[in-house]
Amino acid sequence: MIPISYFLILSAVLFALGMVAFFVKKDLITMFMAIEIMLNAANLAFITLAKSASSLNGQVIVFFVITVAAAEASVGLAIILLIFKQKKSVKTEDISLMKG
Amino acid sequence: MNSFWALSPLLLVVLAALVVLLLEVFLKKETKDYLAYLSSLFLAGCGIILMIFWDKNYSYFDGNFLLDNLALVFSLLLTLATILVILISIKYISLQGANYGEYYALLLFALSGMLIMVSSQSLLIIFLGLEILSISSYSLAGLRRENPESSEAAIKYFLLGSFATAFLVYGLALMYGSTHSLEISSIIRFLTTGTHLNLMLLVGLGLIIIGFAFKIALVPFHMWTPDVYQGSPTPVTAFFSVGPKVVGFAVLLRIFHFYWETAFHTQTLMTALWVISVLTMVVGNLIALRQTNVKRILAYSSIAHAGYLLIALIAQDPTSLIFYLAVYLFMNIGAFTAVTSLGRKGKEYVELNDYSGIGFKYPWIGATFAVFLFSLAGFPPTGGFLAKFFVFASAVRKGFTPLVIIAVIASLISVFYYLRIIVTMYMKEPSPSMQILTRNPVLFSVLFLCLYGVLQLGIYPGNVLGFIRQAVAAMPLL
Repeated sequence: MIPISYFLILSAVLFALGMVAFFVKKDLITMFMAIEIMLNAANLAFITLAKSASSLNGQVIVFFVITVAAAEASVGLAIILLIFKQKKSVKTEDISLMKG
Repeated sequence: MNSFWALSPLLLVVLAALVVLLLEVFLKKETKDYLAYLSSLFLAGCGIILMIFWDKNYSYFDGNFLLDNLALVFSLLLTLATILVILISIKYISLQGANYGEYYALLLFALSGMLIMVSSQSLLIIFLGLEILSISSYSLAGLRRENPESSEAAIKYFLLGSFATAFLVYGLALMYGSTHSLEISSIIRFLTTGTHLNLMLLVGLGLIIIGFAFKIALVPFHMWTPDVYQGSPTPVTAFFSVGPKVVGFAVLLRIFHFYWETAFHTQTLMTALWVISVLTMVVGNLIALRQTNVKRILAYSSIAHAGYLLIALIAQDPTSLIFYLAVYLFMNIGAFTAVTSLGRKGKEYVELNDYSGIGFKYPWIGATFAVFLFSLAGFPPTGGFLAKFFVFASAVRKGFTPLVIIAVIASLISVFYYLRIIVTMYMKEPSPSMQILTRNPVLFSVLFLCLYGVLQLGIYPGNVLGFIRQAVAAMPLL
């Protein structure tokens, strides 16, 4: 049996990786993937903690989070498409009309 | 009391959104204004139902959806804000090429998400409501599809908003791990009975606060605010500056109201909130000084106002927090209405230079805008003065004098940039090229309604304060 803490550490590492990737990457799609990794890290934490508490609530919550992530993805990709249609690029340095 | 009627305001809003989406197909471009009137009618009905439900305490879904008086006050504020935003949108979206039926539907869906958030006791449901609000907001920000600024606002809002969501979800996971529940009441029970705060819980709570801090634009989580406010369609900006802020503080109030004693004895969160509040006020007001775009100035001013609102939360005074939010609603929507009214087909006037001489060229818009700016700066006899006074007074009573001193200095700084707009409006020569569409009775009625609200709350706040006190008194205490 693998200890609970391993899973929690894995989820924390995934979350941190996602966060770093979000700040480092200059590509909208990759930034979006980084956010998805962070959400899935949270899902992993939810499942682990639900298992350790032997309650089903936490596992059900994961389904809600997956649904929300899917809805977010559809809107987000639509916005990225809109940007691509206007600029023919999805790099962050090309989207800098507004500053200050 | 358990009753299906608890859902009726929410269902009415969702029904309105669906009806609008359905009718949109059958209406021609010129007749889409009817959708706005229809949705305002539905929302007025929703407002009346909310008023009837006063003191009834209806709940449904095992108490997961509870319309107590506090939820009713917040729901009323949000419904009113949405009605005002819908009314000021009518002319704007047809002039700026965003006249799609889904505009109103998205606003109504966003409202439904906010209504879920303010009337729920479970952090999971609050999270779902927040996502309904956020996803509608991302689309609303980018609704001027031909306009690159609008798309840029949408993508920035989307990326940083979902980034914040990830923090919130991770915070919820850690919270769930240490308390085995996401009900606010059982979390609080755990906190008060537990002999010490464990690390996992504290980190979870911190992450949840970060998630909400993004939504209500507290420094250092405010980077998206000015860009999103500048790029979004102006009525939508008015909505963003009021809606998410009201619900964000409603949820924080629900979490902290019971929790104050325990949380603030440990001092950890207290200090963190103290620092965030100071940063928000100072940074918001200082950066606003060097802005030349009126929408960006108002964006930074709304960041600064979040700082003042946080003082009310720290001072544990829900009454003045809600009163501040009510005043903020009227003065901010009023200011954005004035900005909205300065535009013509395909053109908006948002640079400070465009405002020169407006006070004499368009006296009504100039005068009302000036009153809203005075109120935002906190001059008597407007509501903004009283709101700030109540917040600062209760903070001093609780012994947060240094915080109040910083807040007063910050609002002194803010006077400069508010007055700069007024000076531009009244002391410079009008530019002849500036032409706007003046005949717009709906916009003017909203302008005067907001003016009435600001002055009523500033001169005779008794009625509203009475209601708010009742709502706060009915909050369950541990």
